[in-house]
Amino acid sequence: MIRSSRGLRLSQAALYVGILVAWEVLPRSGMVPRLFVPPLSEALETLVRDRREYLGSLPATLGEILVSYAIACGGGILAGQLIASVPAARRMLLPVLRGAYAVPLVVLYPVMMVWFGLGSESKIAFASIYAFIPTMLTAIAGVAALSPGLAETAHALGATRTQQILYVALPASLPSIVAALRLGGALVIVGVIVAEMLGAADGLGFLITRQRTLLNSPGVYAGIILVLAMTGLHEALLRRLERKVAAYRES
Amino acid sequence: MTRAQVAIRGVSQRFGVDGASVTALDGIDLDVPDSQFVSVVGPSGCGKSTLLSLVAGLRQPSSGSVLCDGELITAPMPRKVGMIFQEANLLPWLSAIDNVAFPLKLRRVPKAERLEAAARMLDLTGLAGFESRLPHQLSGGMKQRVAIARGLVQNPAVLLMDEPFASLDEQTRMVLGDELLRIWSETRKTVLFVTHSLHEAVYLADRVIVLSARPGRIVDDVPVSLPRPRTFAMTSTEAFGVLKDRIWQHIRHAERA
Repeated sequence: MIRSSRGLRLSQAALYVGILVAWEVLPRSGMVPRLFVPPLSEALETLVRDRREYLGSLPATLGEILVSYAIACGGGILAGQLIASVPAARRMLLPVLRGAYAVPLVVLYPVMMVWFGLGSESKIAFASIYAFIPTMLTAIAGVAALSPGLAETAHALGATRTQQILYVALPASLPSIVAALRLGGALVIVGVIVAEMLGAADGLGFLITRQRTLLNSPGVYAGIILVLAMTGLHEALLRRLERKVAAYRES
Repeated sequence: MTRAQVAIRGVSQRFGVDGASVTALDGIDLDVPDSQFVSVVGPSGCGKSTLLSLVAGLRQPSSGSVLCDGELITAPMPRKVGMIFQEANLLPWLSAIDNVAFPLKLRRVPKAERLEAAARMLDLTGLAGFESRLPHQLSGGMKQRVAIARGLVQNPAVLLMDEPFASLDEQTRMVLGDELLRIWSETRKTVLFVTHSLHEAVYLADRVIVLSARPGRIVDDVPVSLPRPRTFAMTSTEAFGVLKDRIWQHIRHAERA
C-alpha cells in the first residue's frame, strides 16, 4: 500500500520533471520554434527581471478573482443547495440551467465591457457569470445524489432539525461543495484572465496580451507561469480543505 | 392478560394525490401484546409501510390513534420504538460502530458509553470484528445487520421492520431471518414486520396480519402456532403450507380486484 502510493508519487514527480525538461530542451534543440514556446529558463529569467511589472499586475487580477470567487462559488453553491432541496424548483430549472451552460458566455464579454467599462467591474461580472452556472449544477448534482432515506432514518432515530443539518445534511453535501469550489474556482481564474486578455487596462491577462502583441514570447510565458502558480495554489488549498472535510465527517 | 404494547385504534390514513383524496388505510384496529412477533402482509400498495410509519411517529393518522405502552404517538419515540427500513440507510462516512452509536449521539450520551453499547449490539448481530468498517466495505446483508444493531441500541421495547430483507438475495434473507429470530428470542422485543414474502411472514411470526388492497383493511388475523425455534424443515410441513395458502387466498383475491 505504502509502496504503491510512493511509487505513484515518484512517477508523478517524474512526469512533472519530464514536462519541465521538455519545455527547456525542445525549444533549444529547434524542434519547437522559440516564438511559440521559448525555453523555460528564458521565461523564468523574464519573470525575475521584470518582476516589478509582473507582480504589479497581480493585485488587480487577484482582487477580481477573489470577488468573482465569492459571487460565483458562494452564490452558486447556495443557490444550488436551495434549488436541489425543492423538488419542483429542481424539475423546472434544471433543463433551463443546462441549456444556459451550453451557451459560450464569452460572447457576452464585449457587452459587459460596454456596460461596466474597462475596469475591474466588467471582469468580475463576466467571471462571476461564467463560473456561476457550472458551480451551481455541480452543487445540485451533489445534493441530488443524497439518498432521501438518510433524512427519513435520522428523523425516525429522533434527530432534531439542527441535528439533521449538522450530522446528516451538511456532512453529506460537503464533498459536492468541495467539488463545486474546485470547478468554480478554476473557471473564475479562467474567466478573469480571459476577460483581461480581451479588453482591460491592468492585470495579468492584459500584460500577457501586451507581450503577445510585441511578439515577446518569454514575456507571454512569464505571465502563463504566474497563472499556473495561481491555479496550483488554488488546487493545494482545496486539497487541504478536502482533508479537513474528511476529518469533520469522521468526527 | 398481556397488556397491549402497541395499540392501533380505528386508524385511517388519507393522502391527497394530484388533487384527489386516496384512502390508504381504513379503520385499522390492532393490539400487539408485549414480545409478540407480528408480520404484516398484503397486496402491493395496501398501506403496510404507511401503517409502520404511523407507529414510528413519522406521520400522523387522519383519524384514530396509535399508542405505545399506553402513550399516544405523535412524533418519533426512538427510545421506545426502533425502526428498520428496506435500505440500511447508514451514514456513509461513519464506521459500523459509529453508525450504531449514532442514535445515542443524538441523545448526547457520553462517547465511551455509547461506543460500549454499540459494540455490544454489533456483537449481538454477529458483526464483532467489523466495528471500524465503513458501509461501502460491508455486504448488503452486513449493512442490514448494522441497521438492526442501530435499531436495537437504545433498547426499545418495539422494533418496526419495513421489508428489511427485500433488497437482499434469497440465501442472505434466509440467514438473516434466522439471525433475527435468534436476536428476538434473546431480547424479546415486540416486532412489527412488514414483508411481501408470505413464506417469510409465516416463518418468522407468531401472528400474520393480512391487509386488503387499497383502502387497506385487516381482512385476516392468522395465528401461527408452529413451535419455536423455527427450523427450515418446518417450511415443508403441511401446517406451514396450510397457513401460507390461507394467506395467499386473501392476497390473490385482492390482487385480482
